[in-house]
Amino acid sequence: MLKLHNMYKVYSTDEVETVALNGVNVEIEQGDFVAIMGPSGCGKSTLLNIVGMLDNPSDGDYFFFDENIADYNESQRSAIRKHNIGFIFQSFNLIDELSVAENIELALLYHDMPSAERKQRVATVMDRMGIGHRANHMPGQLSGGQQQRVAVARAVVGDQPLILADEPTGNLDSVHGQEVMELLRSLNKEGTTIVMVTHSPAHADYAHRTVNLFDGHIVTENTRAA
Amino acid sequence: MLWNNIIIALRNLRKNKAFAAINISGLALGLTIYIFGGLLVEYENTHDQSYANVNRIYTIGSTANPELNVGVDKFNSTFMAVAPIIKAELSDIDAVARTRNREYLLTSGAESYYEGLRFADPELLTIFDFNYIHGDSSALDDPSGLLITETIAIKYFGNTDAIGEVLTFDNEYDFSVTAVIEDPPLNTHFNSLVIADQSFGIVAPIRALNRLIDYDADVGDWNNLSLGDMTYVLLPENLDQAWLQSQADRIYDTLVPEDEGQAIASLDVHPLSYANVAIWDMIGMPVIVVISLLSLMVLIVACVNYTNLATAQSLGRTREVGMRKTMGATQIQLLTQFLVESLVIAAIAMIFAIAALEMVIPLFNNAAGKNMTLDYMATMPWLLMTTVLVGLFAGLYPAWLITRTNPIEALRDIARKGKKGSRVRSFMIGAQFAISAFMLAMVTIVYLQNEKVKSSSYIFPRSEIYVVDRLNVDGISDKLETLRHELEALPNVDSVAFSSQVPYEQNNSQNELSPIPGDEAAGITLMNMRMSPEFLDAYDIPVLAGRNLSHDITNDKRTDELESLNILVNELTLAKMGIDKPIDAINQRLYPLDEASTLREYVIVGVVPTQNIVGLFNEEKAWFYQYSPSSLRIGSVRITGGNIMDSVEAVEDVWDRVIPDYPIQGRFLDAVFDDVYNVLKYMNMALGIFAFVALSLALIGLFGLAAFMATQRTKEIGVRKVLGASTTQIARLLVWQFSTPVLWALLVALPGAYFATQGYLNFFADRIESPIPILIVSGLTAVLLAWGTIAGHAIRIARSNPIRALRYE
Ligand SMILES: Nc1ncnc2c1ncn2[C@@H]1O[C@H](COP(=O)(O)OP(=O)(O)O)[C@@H](O)[C@H]1O
Ligand SMILES: [Mg+2]
Repeated sequence: MLKLHNMYKVYSTDEVETVALNGVNVEIEQGDFVAIMGPSGCGKSTLLNIVGMLDNPSDGDYFFFDENIADYNESQRSAIRKHNIGFIFQSFNLIDELSVAENIELALLYHDMPSAERKQRVATVMDRMGIGHRANHMPGQLSGGQQQRVAVARAVVGDQPLILADEPTGNLDSVHGQEVMELLRSLNKEGTTIVMVTHSPAHADYAHRTVNLFDGHIVTENTRAA
Repeated sequence: MLWNNIIIALRNLRKNKAFAAINISGLALGLTIYIFGGLLVEYENTHDQSYANVNRIYTIGSTANPELNVGVDKFNSTFMAVAPIIKAELSDIDAVARTRNREYLLTSGAESYYEGLRFADPELLTIFDFNYIHGDSSALDDPSGLLITETIAIKYFGNTDAIGEVLTFDNEYDFSVTAVIEDPPLNTHFNSLVIADQSFGIVAPIRALNRLIDYDADVGDWNNLSLGDMTYVLLPENLDQAWLQSQADRIYDTLVPEDEGQAIASLDVHPLSYANVAIWDMIGMPVIVVISLLSLMVLIVACVNYTNLATAQSLGRTREVGMRKTMGATQIQLLTQFLVESLVIAAIAMIFAIAALEMVIPLFNNAAGKNMTLDYMATMPWLLMTTVLVGLFAGLYPAWLITRTNPIEALRDIARKGKKGSRVRSFMIGAQFAISAFMLAMVTIVYLQNEKVKSSSYIFPRSEIYVVDRLNVDGISDKLETLRHELEALPNVDSVAFSSQVPYEQNNSQNELSPIPGDEAAGITLMNMRMSPEFLDAYDIPVLAGRNLSHDITNDKRTDELESLNILVNELTLAKMGIDKPIDAINQRLYPLDEASTLREYVIVGVVPTQNIVGLFNEEKAWFYQYSPSSLRIGSVRITGGNIMDSVEAVEDVWDRVIPDYPIQGRFLDAVFDDVYNVLKYMNMALGIFAFVALSLALIGLFGLAAFMATQRTKEIGVRKVLGASTTQIARLLVWQFSTPVLWALLVALPGAYFATQGYLNFFADRIESPIPILIVSGLTAVLLAWGTIAGHAIRIARSNPIRALRYE
């Protein structure tokens, strides 16, 4: 599905240059479930952002379905991104002024989709995530676990084949964290490819494969039998 | 406690320097305009306070009969015949006096100048207590005495010790100085007539007119109603304006002769303080009121600006408020703290405004010939009250909004902060833009109307006509033909014409003529142009039918003995006579209805096109043109080609040779036009300044708010971008949030401007076509400016990388 080859990312600020990715090579197959682990500041989020086309690499190639998109500009990346990739963040990033349903619908707003179809899809995905009765609530009225379900719903409502999750359970207690992981597993079972950053070895166990990053390098890769 | 609040307020200002700068400068600008407007209005409304009797002095004005049709319907003056009636009828009054303005050539030795002087009843010096340097209030008792100001004394005699010195009028009549007074202050109505420039320098006894022009001042006349000729009444303490008005009504009803007084519909009593601002009522433009309103509007825009920014900004302080509340602060205490903050800002802005005024006022005084001052003692209560009201008005809403929240919500809820108060904020943005768009539309319409007035004035060769005034003096009248021949011999002079008036002069000399002898019902009112035959040449006026008048045909030239006079008429006259084709008018006759002389009939020998000779705001009128050598008072010298300055110099040389006893009074026709046009122009400039300030404030406010809202929405923008929104979509979103209020504002402002400008446009006979497209364009301009202001920022925000926005939330 996607392949990073010799990927570098350097952040230059006035005083320092930070090498966040230092020649990373990864390949991810369709239907994969990958966990990325490593200490804080080792480059996990950077890697995820580049995979998610939110950021450009400083050097290296990025093949997405055999298309090298490393040098694409913002609008080209955006066009590929919105149909292929869904995001889940540690801090949920729901918009407080919009209701649950509206937050989910937002992911379809830029898809050239008629309003009726959007509403239909939102309703379906909310039922699947068990938040149908919360449609008109505001994010502020929900618990953290419920908010993250809304975020998951938003990530999958567009039928994106790839989901990127940056510490999706980081802000949740263990019960709710577990719930979210179960959700991700069932999505993966239905064919969605998932790449997830996590600090929790227990949650990493849900994945087929763990990539360990250290200082911008991949140190080990462990594959688990399914 | 209060001191503590002030300290906190100042600390907060220092913390948010950019916001503080925008807030304070906006408010300071608004306050500057507002105070300036207030001072100006106060200055204009409180002239003449230096006279001891100011509260007992009244003026007699008149309302013109609508049929008079002279463009002005309210005069603060009346006929010279009214004062003698008042004097005879009202024994209870303390004094009544008239002044009449006339221009003479005054000579003392080598010093010789044209002076506009006032001929006055001796009682004028009882009514006004001038400051005498020499002489006293009996100065005008002697019919050849003269009261002069120190400026005039120094101009002619080199010092103020001028008693007994002689000034000769028109090289013929001697007057001797009987009093020298200090110059009246600039803020007296004597110095303030806007259009007729009659500075107060010389007062002669009105009875002298008997000797000068054979005028019986004890009776006065019912013929001449001109702006500057005043009638003053001094009342004793126990009588008031209402009493005088009732007496004036009675006099008008019972004592004004029916046929004489028909030009006016009533006599109007006004207090002296009105004399300075009367001019605006006369021309039907409430300029003073408009200045008050506009400056208040600008202040409101500035306040709303502050309120908006402060509201947005204070929402960032919900956490602080929550903390304070948890620790026991009551809402009143917090409210006080926030209000103290806005009062501190208002006070700082006021200090800046005062500093600005200290710079602006002297410049304005210089440019406008005024003597305004910022008198701190007198204005302190007003300034303090304005500061407090502005501080409270601008600060109350944000203070209330922020302190209303309960502490838990405030601490937890960074959440809905963008939403909070957003409707009120939208409303306020709308209000600001309504006011700005309203002003912008008005300025544009007034400007275009002025341009139209200007462009239609070009039907006459304005810049090629050198106008020579003051020809109706015995020493000049009989030399006009010589003067004409000598001038026409100059290389660049095309033609030289003499007439009773030139274009754009606001004279309305009218005659009643009738196609049927003695039939008043069939009578038509015609404007009366007296001219020499060259007038048509000089002004490029074609003859449509018949012929021009001629020097050589006896009946073309008016004399006292002539019974039948040939005239020209314009096409509008034909319309009034019911004649279709110019050719059909030839040899038609018109008969004078009230002609005292031997003249029995006018015969039309030529027809010219209808032109708006009086121009400016007047409508086109029906005119007849006669060659009347005895009533020519002004010359038009048409100069084409060559160096203009050289040609003018050559004209002056010829004048000095032909008429050595009188100095030439020359200027270009352009200047005649500008006499009146400048009033319109300056009004538009003033309006423009108001509009510019209001719009700038609104845009600054909008920019500040847009920037603030964008930071508030960073996360939302990030999420939307991650979900695939493009830069344009994001930018549009940011711009659009302010468009609804701005568009609503236009819906209110543009019809408002439409009605407001109708008043101005009604003043003009020849109006711009429809102001509606102009309104729409001004509205669009306001919207585009608003969009432009936000768009730059919005695009920058929309371009930024979304992960930065989402990273640390
Ligand atoms: N926008 C940025 N500018 C400068 N340095 C950055 C930026 N983003 C990340 N970094 C740095 O790059 C390194 C990797 O960061 P990140 O990918 O966020 O780590 P992780 O997600 O593994 O904690 C860190 O040292 C971080 O400080
Ligand atoms: Mg991270």
